[in-house]
Amino acid sequence: MTDKKGEKIYADRVQLAYAKTLDIVAHAVMLVIGAGYLLYIMQLLPLSVPIETVAGNWQLSSSELQAKLHLFSGWSCFASLPLLLHGDAVSYASVVMLSMATILCLATAVIVFFREKNHLFLMIAILQVVVLLVAASGVMTQSH
Amino acid sequence: MKVFQNISWPVPAAIVAGASLMLLQATPLLAAAPQAAGDTAWWVWVLALFLFSFLLGIVAVLAGVGGGVLFVPIVSGFFPFHLDYVRGAGLLVALAGALSAGPPLMRKGLADLKLGLPMALVGSVSSIAGALVGLAMPAQNVQLLLGIVIISIAGIMIKSGRSGYPEVSQPDRLSQMLGISGLYYEEFGQHEVFWQVHRTPQGIALFFVIGFIGGMFGLGAGFANVPVFNLLMGVPLKVAVATSGLVLSINGSAAAWVYLFKGAVLPLIAVPSIGGMMLGSKIGAKLLPKVNSRTIRMLVITILVLSGLRSLMKGLGI
Repeated sequence: MTDKKGEKIYADRVQLAYAKTLDIVAHAVMLVIGAGYLLYIMQLLPLSVPIETVAGNWQLSSSELQAKLHLFSGWSCFASLPLLLHGDAVSYASVVMLSMATILCLATAVIVFFREKNHLFLMIAILQVVVLLVAASGVMTQSH
Repeated sequence: MKVFQNISWPVPAAIVAGASLMLLQATPLLAAAPQAAGDTAWWVWVLALFLFSFLLGIVAVLAGVGGGVLFVPIVSGFFPFHLDYVRGAGLLVALAGALSAGPPLMRKGLADLKLGLPMALVGSVSSIAGALVGLAMPAQNVQLLLGIVIISIAGIMIKSGRSGYPEVSQPDRLSQMLGISGLYYEEFGQHEVFWQVHRTPQGIALFFVIGFIGGMFGLGAGFANVPVFNLLMGVPLKVAVATSGLVLSINGSAAAWVYLFKGAVLPLIAVPSIGGMMLGSKIGAKLLPKVNSRTIRMLVITILVLSGLRSLMKGLGI
C-alpha cells in the first residue's frame, strides 16, 4: 500500500482508520478540556459547588468527599441540561469525554475488522468494547 | 510530532491563561478563599501542580519513562490532595499522553493494533479490578504498597536492559494464530525492519498483572509494558514503546471509569496535571537530543527511590 505521494505505508487499513478517529477525537477532547477548565476556574458559568469548598476538602477520601459535597461522579453531570450549564459540570464532562475517546476508536476498529472479515480480531475488538462499556456503565462500581 | 503539538496546546493554554488572570486578582482571592491545606489559597496549589507537572513532563521524556509513574508518588507525597484524586489524575495524565502521541505512531506502523489489542483486553479487565481493590483499601495501606511498587520499579529500571532489534527465530503458535508480526521503516538506519514475537502466552499473563498494578495505583504502566514487549516477547524497542502507549490508553480508559464513578476524579486537580505534563513532554522532546539522558535516567531513579521511601514512611505512619 502507498500514500498519495507514492511512499510506502507500513500501517494496515484498521490502523489507519483507528489513527484517523483518534486524531479527530483527541483534538476535540483537548479543546473541550481546555475550554471547560477556563469556564470552571474563571467562574464564567455558575458553579454547583464553589471551588473554595472543593479545595477546602480535597484532603478527604473520595467516599468522604462524595458523602459531604455530592460532587459529580460517573455520568451525573449529564443528568439535566440546567445542571450541565455549570462550570464545574462542563469541566467534569470534558474529563468524561477523555475517557470515552478509546471506545470511539475501538468502534472504528470493529467496523474495519468486520469489513475485512477478520473474525478473530473482530471478536477481540468487540470484547474490548464490551469491557469498556461495562466499565463506563458503572455496573462494576455499584455492585462493589 | 506536529499532531502532538497541535493537540497539546489548548489545555496548557487554558491553565496558563486562567492562572495568569488569577494572579492578577491575587489579593481579593487570597482574602476570599477558604484555606485548602494549611493557609495556602487553592489557586496556589493548582498553579504549583501545573508547574510541577510541567517539570515532571520534561524529566519523564528525558528519562524515557511514562509520566504517571513519577506523578503519583511525588504528587501524593508533597501535595495536600488525598491519594484517591492523585491516582485518578495519574491515570488521566497517562491516558491523555498516550492518546495524543498515538496517531502518528499508528500511521508509521510503530504502534501495532494486533500486538496491542490482546494484551489490552486482558490488561483492561485486570486494571478495573485493580482500581476497585485500590479504592476499597485504606489509603495508608495503598500508600505503603505504592512505596514498595515504586522502589521495585526503580530496581527494574536499574536492572533491565533494552534491545533495539531482538531476534525471534521461531514465533510461537498463538502469535502465528493471531497474525502478530509487522514491518516498519527505521528512519535512523534507513532500512525496513520485520518483526515477529514469541512467548505470547507468558506476555499475556504478565499484562494481566501489570494492568492490575496500573489500575490500583493510577500509574501509567509503560515502565513494565515496554520490557515485557521488548525483552520477553522480542518486539523491537520502538514498536514496544509505541504499542505500550496504545495498551496504556485502553487500560487507562477502563480504570479511569472506576475512579470517575467513585468520585475520585476532581477536574480541579486532574486538568492542570494533564496540561502541565503534556506541555512539559513537548519541551522534553525538544531537549532530548541536547542532554545526557543517562544522567537524567539516574536522577529519575534516585527521585523514584526517594519518593518510594516517602510513600513507605507515610504508609507506615512515620
